[in-house]
Amino acid sequence: MRRKMKKTAKLNLIPILDAIFIFIFFLLMSAQFIDIYQIGSDAPITSTSTEKLDKKPLNLTLELNGEKVIVKTGLSEKVYKTVNYRDLASLNETLIELKKQHPSEDSAIIKPAHNFKYKRIVKVIDNTREITKPNVYITALDDQNKKFATKKLFDKIIFDTQD
Amino acid sequence: MKRMFFNNYKREKKEQMDLDITSLLDVLVILLVFLLKSYNASELKINLVKDLVVPKSEARILGNHAIIVQVDKDKKIYVNKEEVGFAYGAGQNNALLAKLNEMRADIDKDLTESKKDKKINLVFDEKLPYNVMKTVMHTSAMAGYTEFKFIVQGNY
Repeated sequence: MRRKMKKTAKLNLIPILDAIFIFIFFLLMSAQFIDIYQIGSDAPITSTSTEKLDKKPLNLTLELNGEKVIVKTGLSEKVYKTVNYRDLASLNETLIELKKQHPSEDSAIIKPAHNFKYKRIVKVIDNTREITKPNVYITALDDQNKKFATKKLFDKIIFDTQD
Repeated sequence: MKRMFFNNYKREKKEQMDLDITSLLDVLVILLVFLLKSYNASELKINLVKDLVVPKSEARILGNHAIIVQVDKDKKIYVNKEEVGFAYGAGQNNALLAKLNEMRADIDKDLTESKKDKKINLVFDEKLPYNVMKTVMHTSAMAGYTEFKFIVQGNY
């Protein structure tokens, strides 16, 4: 009697296996083995305004030429600092410094030389958009001028397409 | 007597034929975990053209569905995997502009100007110089696609 009861308690795995097979099939069909992400950038738009600005705009411009990254600020594009491309951590430090001085600014203009490689441009953008060091945050201002901690630096990237 | 012996033997043999699927289940669970880990929730699916290496980036914003323009290391331009020509020097690229205008006319013909999709996914080979990027960006903007989405791969 006991032996009979033991035999009926055997688990039927067939429906579970069916479900797992369907799940695996779905995952295999939707699998993408390269993780794809995007970096957004808007085409530059020029407009004329007669309004007087309360504060001078930062107008952060990064000129990429050869091994140099020239950080320029202001409407007159005054050179703020020149950094070597090999030392992007130093560029990140410079941008943290600028973000602390201008917490409401969030855009940067990238001006690469004609032969500057795309791979290098992406590296510069990575160091412009966010603080690369872990556990380092800065205070920024939101739309209602409230302070908040963030890793974001200048995440609105605009390419200079003028010749 | 002889028949009885064989009947009993057959029954015993049948009972022993029970399949052990434990190892199969182990493999399936491992496969399931691996696939779940590599699952990407992005709605964008890209079939990269030959000879195109996407640069690595720290960006973590998932891609969205839009027209895909790819430029390989030989400066060949593809729109949704269809080859349209080469990216030469500066200024706009007429072949690309014509293709983008044709596609816009097909997709957005019933939409008003403000509702037209302005997003465009740009997939460049990592070795391409900026002048090629500039040509493609300029041409895309001329066709009304002013929101550029540069496609990069996750850096781990």
